Amino acid sequence: MSKVICVDVAKCNGCYNCQLACKDEHAGNDWTPYAKPQPDIGQFWVKLTEHVGGTIPKVKIHYIPYMCNHCENAVCMEACKFGAYYRREDGFVILDPEKCKGCGACMKACPYEAIYMNKDLKICQKCTGCAHLLDNGYKLPRCVEACPTDAMQYGEEADMQDFIVGSTVRMPETGLHPKVFYRNIPGKFIAGTVYDPVEKEVVIGARCRATNGGKTIEVLSDEYGDFWFKDLAMGKYDVVIEAKGYEFKTFDAVDATIDVNLGDIPLDKK
Amino acid sequence: MTVTPIDIKADKRVFKAASLMGPRSGLPTVIESDKDGKLTRIRPFHYRDYMDWDSKQPWKIEARGKTMTPPDRTLPGCYYMAYKKRVYSENRVRYPLKRVDWDPNGERNPQNRGKSPFVRISWDEAAQIVADELLRVREKYGMSAVLSEADMHGEGKHVAPSHGCANRLLSLLGGYTIQMRNQDSWEGYSWGSKNVWGGEPVGEMQPSGNVWPDIAKNAELLLFWAADPETTPVGFDGYMSSRLNEWLHSIGLKYVYVDPALNFSACRMADKWIPILPNTDAAMFLAIAYIWLIEGTYDKEYVKTHAVGTEPFFDYVLGKEDGEPKTPEWAADKCGVPSWTIKAVARDWARKVTSLTIGNGGPGIRGPFSTEPARLQSILLGMQGLGKPGVHQAKWLEWNLHTAVYQMPYQGEASINVPHRAEIVRPYGSASDFQRAITKSMKDPDEPFMIQEDINKGRYKLSEAASTIDELAELCKTMDTPPAQSIPRCMVHQAILNESIEWWGLYSFCGPAEQQWTKHVFPQPGCSRLHMIWTDSPCNVTCWNDGFSFVKALRSPEIECVVAQHPWLENDCYLADIILPVATKFEMEDICDDTGGGTLTAVFHEYPACPPVGESMNDFECVAAVARKISEDVFMAYTGNDKAIERVVELFWQGCGVAHLDKDDEFHKKDIFVVPGDPNIQEKPPGLRTFADDPEKNPLTTPTGKLEFTSTGIQEHFPDDPERPPFPKWIEKSDLHDERLNGDRAKDYPYLCMSNHGRWRFHANLDDVTWNREVETMKIRAKDGYQYEPAWMHPITAKAKGVEHGDVIKVFNERGTVLCAAYVTERLIPDVVYVDHGARFDPIDAETLDRGGAINLISPRNNISKHATGMVVSGFLVDFEKVTDDEMAGWIKQYPDSFARKIDDATGVCLDGWLIDG
Repeated sequence: MSKVICVDVAKCNGCYNCQLACKDEHAGNDWTPYAKPQPDIGQFWVKLTEHVGGTIPKVKIHYIPYMCNHCENAVCMEACKFGAYYRREDGFVILDPEKCKGCGACMKACPYEAIYMNKDLKICQKCTGCAHLLDNGYKLPRCVEACPTDAMQYGEEADMQDFIVGSTVRMPETGLHPKVFYRNIPGKFIAGTVYDPVEKEVVIGARCRATNGGKTIEVLSDEYGDFWFKDLAMGKYDVVIEAKGYEFKTFDAVDATIDVNLGDIPLDKK
Repeated sequence: MTVTPIDIKADKRVFKAASLMGPRSGLPTVIESDKDGKLTRIRPFHYRDYMDWDSKQPWKIEARGKTMTPPDRTLPGCYYMAYKKRVYSENRVRYPLKRVDWDPNGERNPQNRGKSPFVRISWDEAAQIVADELLRVREKYGMSAVLSEADMHGEGKHVAPSHGCANRLLSLLGGYTIQMRNQDSWEGYSWGSKNVWGGEPVGEMQPSGNVWPDIAKNAELLLFWAADPETTPVGFDGYMSSRLNEWLHSIGLKYVYVDPALNFSACRMADKWIPILPNTDAAMFLAIAYIWLIEGTYDKEYVKTHAVGTEPFFDYVLGKEDGEPKTPEWAADKCGVPSWTIKAVARDWARKVTSLTIGNGGPGIRGPFSTEPARLQSILLGMQGLGKPGVHQAKWLEWNLHTAVYQMPYQGEASINVPHRAEIVRPYGSASDFQRAITKSMKDPDEPFMIQEDINKGRYKLSEAASTIDELAELCKTMDTPPAQSIPRCMVHQAILNESIEWWGLYSFCGPAEQQWTKHVFPQPGCSRLHMIWTDSPCNVTCWNDGFSFVKALRSPEIECVVAQHPWLENDCYLADIILPVATKFEMEDICDDTGGGTLTAVFHEYPACPPVGESMNDFECVAAVARKISEDVFMAYTGNDKAIERVVELFWQGCGVAHLDKDDEFHKKDIFVVPGDPNIQEKPPGLRTFADDPEKNPLTTPTGKLEFTSTGIQEHFPDDPERPPFPKWIEKSDLHDERLNGDRAKDYPYLCMSNHGRWRFHANLDDVTWNREVETMKIRAKDGYQYEPAWMHPITAKAKGVEHGDVIKVFNERGTVLCAAYVTERLIPDVVYVDHGARFDPIDAETLDRGGAINLISPRNNISKHATGMVVSGFLVDFEKVTDDEMAGWIKQYPDSFARKIDDATGVCLDGWLIDG
């Protein structure tokens, strides 16, 4: 039996309610033996991160909340020499504030930077899954409850399989088996606008193809002359733009390790 | 291994409305506190915890085979999740304060306002001083020498409202001068669009009922014109707008955003973002009209039957009037949008069923000549069949405002109007006087005029039914004496600094278009100039125009006493002589309503969630303390015979308009009554459908009843106005404004400054919330450790000045200098500096130099245009430079006292920084 948190990145509107609700619950409130108070600023047991890509006017943002993953293979727990960590029946990994000596070994071990040092209290601190609330009849961790768009969901791992199958976790290569699952983290994009510089008109319906490793994706330019290759795997793409009555336009080896705006692209008449 | 669970059950659990609209309250949240009265947590309200959800008949919108329903909880925004930090802010005024070098019996040192610190005094002393000053000023100059700055958008409270309590007292003492709020949220619509489509009372499209369900069913394209569903609605109404935005996109509507910045909705949802230079929308609208006229792609039949004065406008667009066709190439040069993109928008808009969405107006209608883009927006909607299925102007907030049928279908069988025990923005003189004056200026004086006595009774008066409850009517009775004169809020500094001022139109906050043709002056015959100010909305320096001039004005020796009544020591409070400490709504009992959250409507009883912080009292009591010092009679008249708060709550419940629907007495048993939704509400015609169907039978409120492409009112009253001509034009500059990138002033100040509502702050509210200040688009901690207000700029713009992300910069023009930190981003069009308004003033030199980032300090002095009495706080010219270490060191040397003030590491400016031991 294990609880999980599922995050649909496509639904996250970047409102920071998760981060703020976490602070509301833990900053200045003492939930010993679950957790000592979080300092007013500087710690983010839930941390919303902002991911900006592209250049004007082809810019996209998505937000991802990061937090303790309550990993199945909790390296923090292994690293602690003082037995301060334990796992609850519901799977949450708790750092007992009264046993922690503040040595910081767990912080070093955690690849997710989810553990913080409280210099005043001389202890390490992190997300508790709001276990103190769940043990007292509250139904949801605060971050999940505060999410206005249902981007965050909380529940039994067995019940959440529809979300979990095909989802991703942070740094799966570490093999730690996190219990926070993500969907819809967008891949990179290559985008641009095609136009006729003589007529000063956008070109609608241009065939735009992006090829990488023998695989080609094709889109047509839209009403605004825009084309978007979305959700691309990182890599280099050869882009070819072809419109009736115009010369070909090619962009070789466009580097989509970042989001790329090819800009307003003039097409020459044949 | 498990630990024994501790008992964390809340000792106390109360409801609090989450809204900063003040006077109106907002959606319910649940506040939990511990046995010591300390606030523990703030949570959304879960309907199912208190009632049978289904029996409340929650709404659903069905369109294109999909259904949207509200979630079974409220959706409070970031402002409320962190409100605990506002209640316990380091910036709270904890006891009455007096400016240290202000002596009512000796030297008043007005020149030190905004500079001198404060000392703690007792409530007894504070109330006595204010009472004495009122009586002294009345004796010497008459009551019209007292300006009441009682406005809006503090906490939403009813029993002891944030705004307007003092007006009751001032009225009892014989009248006062009122600061009349200009139409700040909808300036361009009010002064412009009203003359196209009526849209009373504020100039946005009305009626607006059911537009969102109709859009869901029929629209194909949504234009977001300076509209951000993730930002503007949240302070009033929470995040239902975010869910609606998400849902409409998911069912297939296309989203095009026209905005200088990639706003917080556009960055995720835009199918197309069109960056445009601030305040150049009029050029783009004209070019779109040009394409439609040339290509014949507008609704000619509709225009023929629904619009008047079309030919002069069309001639102007085509260049027949001035020899300059308003082509996309012409527009591109002005607005920075490529001509091919303008053509593409014009064609897409013409081809698809399109609604234009707004978040009120934001910067889009708060620039110089904002009447013009607003009117063009209305006209262009008219050219595409306004009111037909899917063709509306729709708003992402205030779905309940100014319309009998709400824009979203969450209302019940009856509407809620919880009474409000204060008098805000009450027009001066009697309504009948004004009606006579205004009728004289009309073409046909015999024509019945649409002005009601209502507007003279304050904006929030009892409903007809509530008026029949005698005890309530007595309690909420409008005080007999109205204000003797008024000053537009955007001209208060001018009224003090000049011998007299005059303006057109602004008489009441939301008055009919006919008001626009009447001229007003200050001072009125027989009235005094200003010698005393009482403010309960002390944010003119950061939320209104030309803030540094406001500081200069309040330093005038003529102004003998300034009283601020506020929970926090911020902004105009620094200019005060006496500060009365106000309790937040968390500390008091009240009855509030949810009419805007979008789930369902509700009325709920609010109990105190915690004891008052320090010696603070609620607004009503603050004023009562002063009243008591004047006389027992005045105290009893002010308080309505000192009724107990429980009784006031009960009376307000009885008069709120839905008590008769509460068959099971839920309000008393559960402290909340949620009004069941009206399942038939969506059958009412959406928007301007009846006008579209039959304009003769269902005319608009314009003089002709039609869409006036050429305004008959302006044509009659100001036919030669070069700034707001009878039909809308591109106005390059005027005697009042030279704020274009290609103008003369741009040689000195070559960047356009845009200013908007912040996302993490609500106007001037919550700039001190430590958790919000950790978000980088709220504050940037620079290398000197100070958290500066971010100034967005494009990398090209930054590079031209050698500025890097996070650098401290100065943004300046001839009106002064504001320090910010550079937020270098691809989310903004080049040549623009974008700073949200509302950052707290942190004066280095109060008349010229601010560290807090209060950008409105350097916004223009002049109104929208000569005949449009509104403010200009976006789309104005500035320059900026990186602040060098030497320059900063120079300031520190020059202004040691300013830099010596304590800055809290997390809160920024704070009470301790302005306090010295008495």
